[in-house]
Amino acid sequence: MLFTLAIASLVRHRARTLLAVLGVAVSAGMLLDMVMLSSGMRESFRSLLLSQGFQLRIAPKGTLPFDTEATIRDADSLVAMLRARPEVVKVSPVLGGQLHIPTGRGAVTSAALGIEPAVQGDYELVEGRPPAAPDELAANDALLAALGRRVGDTVTAGAGYDAQLRGLSGARTLWIVGRVRFVYFAADQRGAALPLATLRAMQGADAAGRISLAMVRLRDGTNVDSARATIERLAPRVTVISTADAIRQVDERLSYFRQLAVILGAVSLVVGFLLVTTLMTVSVNERIGEIAVMRALGVRRERIVAQIVLEAGAIMLVAAPLGLVLGLVTARYLNSILASFPGLPERIDFFLFQPSSAWTALGLLVLCGVLSGVYPSWRSASLGIATTLREDAVG
Amino acid sequence: MDRFAIATRSPRATADAIARINDAAYGFRAHRSTDIAVETSTTFAVVSRFHRAIGVITIVASAIFLLCIMLLKVEERRRDVAAMRLMGISARTVVRSVVLEAAAIAVLGSAVGVGVGALASALVNRHYQAVYRTPLRFSIVTGDIVLLAVALSLALGIVAGWLAARRLVRTPPLALFGR
Amino acid sequence: MSALVVVRDLVREYRMGEELVPALRGVSFDVGEGDYVAIVGPSGCGKSTLLNLLGVIDRPTAGTVSIAGERVDRLPDSRATDFRLRRIGFVFQRFYLMQALTARENIELPLAEAGMSGAPRRQRARALLDYVGLARREGHRPSQLSGGEQQRVAIARALANKPKLLLADEPTGELDARTGAEMIALFRRLNADGTTIVVVTHDEELARAAKRVIHMRDGTIVYDEPVRASGDR
Repeated sequence: MLFTLAIASLVRHRARTLLAVLGVAVSAGMLLDMVMLSSGMRESFRSLLLSQGFQLRIAPKGTLPFDTEATIRDADSLVAMLRARPEVVKVSPVLGGQLHIPTGRGAVTSAALGIEPAVQGDYELVEGRPPAAPDELAANDALLAALGRRVGDTVTAGAGYDAQLRGLSGARTLWIVGRVRFVYFAADQRGAALPLATLRAMQGADAAGRISLAMVRLRDGTNVDSARATIERLAPRVTVISTADAIRQVDERLSYFRQLAVILGAVSLVVGFLLVTTLMTVSVNERIGEIAVMRALGVRRERIVAQIVLEAGAIMLVAAPLGLVLGLVTARYLNSILASFPGLPERIDFFLFQPSSAWTALGLLVLCGVLSGVYPSWRSASLGIATTLREDAVG
Repeated sequence: MDRFAIATRSPRATADAIARINDAAYGFRAHRSTDIAVETSTTFAVVSRFHRAIGVITIVASAIFLLCIMLLKVEERRRDVAAMRLMGISARTVVRSVVLEAAAIAVLGSAVGVGVGALASALVNRHYQAVYRTPLRFSIVTGDIVLLAVALSLALGIVAGWLAARRLVRTPPLALFGR
Repeated sequence: MSALVVVRDLVREYRMGEELVPALRGVSFDVGEGDYVAIVGPSGCGKSTLLNLLGVIDRPTAGTVSIAGERVDRLPDSRATDFRLRRIGFVFQRFYLMQALTARENIELPLAEAGMSGAPRRQRARALLDYVGLARREGHRPSQLSGGEQQRVAIARALANKPKLLLADEPTGELDARTGAEMIALFRRLNADGTTIVVVTHDEELARAAKRVIHMRDGTIVYDEPVRASGDR
């Protein structure tokens, strides 16, 4: 009966109910977006870092991977030492650089990674094969498009460009043997992968024995933090960064978005709550006479409160799924804006849907909305029946 | 010397200078300062777009909230409206008075909102200037922005009030009394 | 007849700002089972106040009220609510039906509150609608019913839990003469079927239909006497 009365009351005021549902849905959508934003970046980055299975990254002392142009010297002995350790399964050394490729219209510049194909964790092969021989190269779609080349073609590339002489340094003719997708590159970033030794040779004597970064995969069950500490102790001239450290660094740099998410999320929650509270308060005030009659008929106060709370709950239950849909659509749009950050890896999402946090947020909103009906209805149901009926009759 | 900057007399002179420098065989490239500014502020441009999108969503949400609340508040006054109509006061006058009230609430609300926004802006600047150790201002409240906010609130409030009042005056007065 | 309602020295005062306004100044009377009492008097004489106290929707300042042997003047809220639900039926001048519910659902409301489940509840509601002559209107909402029909639904609702006492406050106040006459006939039938009725009214016809009239003025009972067969007092 209470349920019937609650639904009947909502249906009776269709426009008001619809607007309230819409308003709460928008609040719910925004709240969901902010929940997704607050942890999305971190979780997306974490899964990106772990996607290739490497738990540690070794960079030049005091730097983050590829944050600067600094390199680790005598890297080969470091890599050999790491590979000898029982807890280490795989080490992937990477040297960063640039390739300058003259074309008819000028020169195309591309990021270049010198890698060991057997252990690399920087790209996924899409077509062809990895660059194994010294004169082989794999390129991504952006580079191939800029060059107008395909797998099987050759290019002449240099590791450096002499601005004074307008000539290439470390030039070589390389055979494009594979088309790849770089895991950590931005969407439109041009990239090429070639054997580490080849890139070193192209960069000249200064690059001998150097790498920019080494990625380390540990055996299952190894304590990542102690492995990190051990390696840092054994190799004091490098910085060892665990996935947790990297995420912490990213968190600090992008703390603005988390703060924004918290503030806007809180605002959404408060506004949604206020909206339903206002609706329930006005709705109850309008029905003070009706409530007094129900009390006169012998309906208990608690049942009247339950009926009002049911009404609020019904609004929230319809609005929440609608808000979920709105939130997901809006998140996609907002994510597409933020995805155009320069240099951001293509696979990073700012808004990540995580069911547990989504349900928590929506659950919180539904609870707030439901509770918003308690006070006004209890207050109205506690008014003197005779007085209320008389005042309602008058006016 | 890594780079040097050139001040020219006019945009045409700038274009001339760029062409001549790039032709010279000294291995330099000339760029317009504005082009460099655009490229180096891509990050800010992205953040700006993001903020604008959030702003649009907030406005849409506010419009819905405002309409909902105006509807509720106006309906609360149904008996007053009924009494006025029974006295012979025209629907037009009733709508006008409701819209005026809605406009007043909107103006008052936006005045408070501007105050809150200005305070929030000052706090934001203070916080991020300290975090990033920069004199850059992250949030600027200009006259245009205030005008836009007030105008938008007023427009939304008036539309919400008008829609709500129209619903009410269309209902026969006795029905508003619940008879 | 044994006394169903026993009222002794009932006082009710209201605070209006600084002033204490006495609505009842010490009223005493009994109502027997099966009785049909009309309370009449000028506006402001305290008759509605008296009815509210009998209906346990208000509390007296002093004095006692007993209904069916139970003291009801100082009951805690939950007990008073339960008493109203099971022992008393109240009919209001303005009907006070739930606009969002149908006629049948309005009657089901107190039945559901008393714990009656779906099918028997609906059956009883239909039976009551039939009793008041509105069987064909069970699916109509109050806005689709005339004043008289709404009042009949209100009466059926008041009878839902088979109350010991039916109280009616100006039940014909919002009705035209013809509908009012129908209502008077319904009350007569209810009383003939054994319902104890106390009605507050300005309607002379309704008062004449009762078995006994209590005339009030200024918060006191002026006279209390049976209605003669001819309808005169």
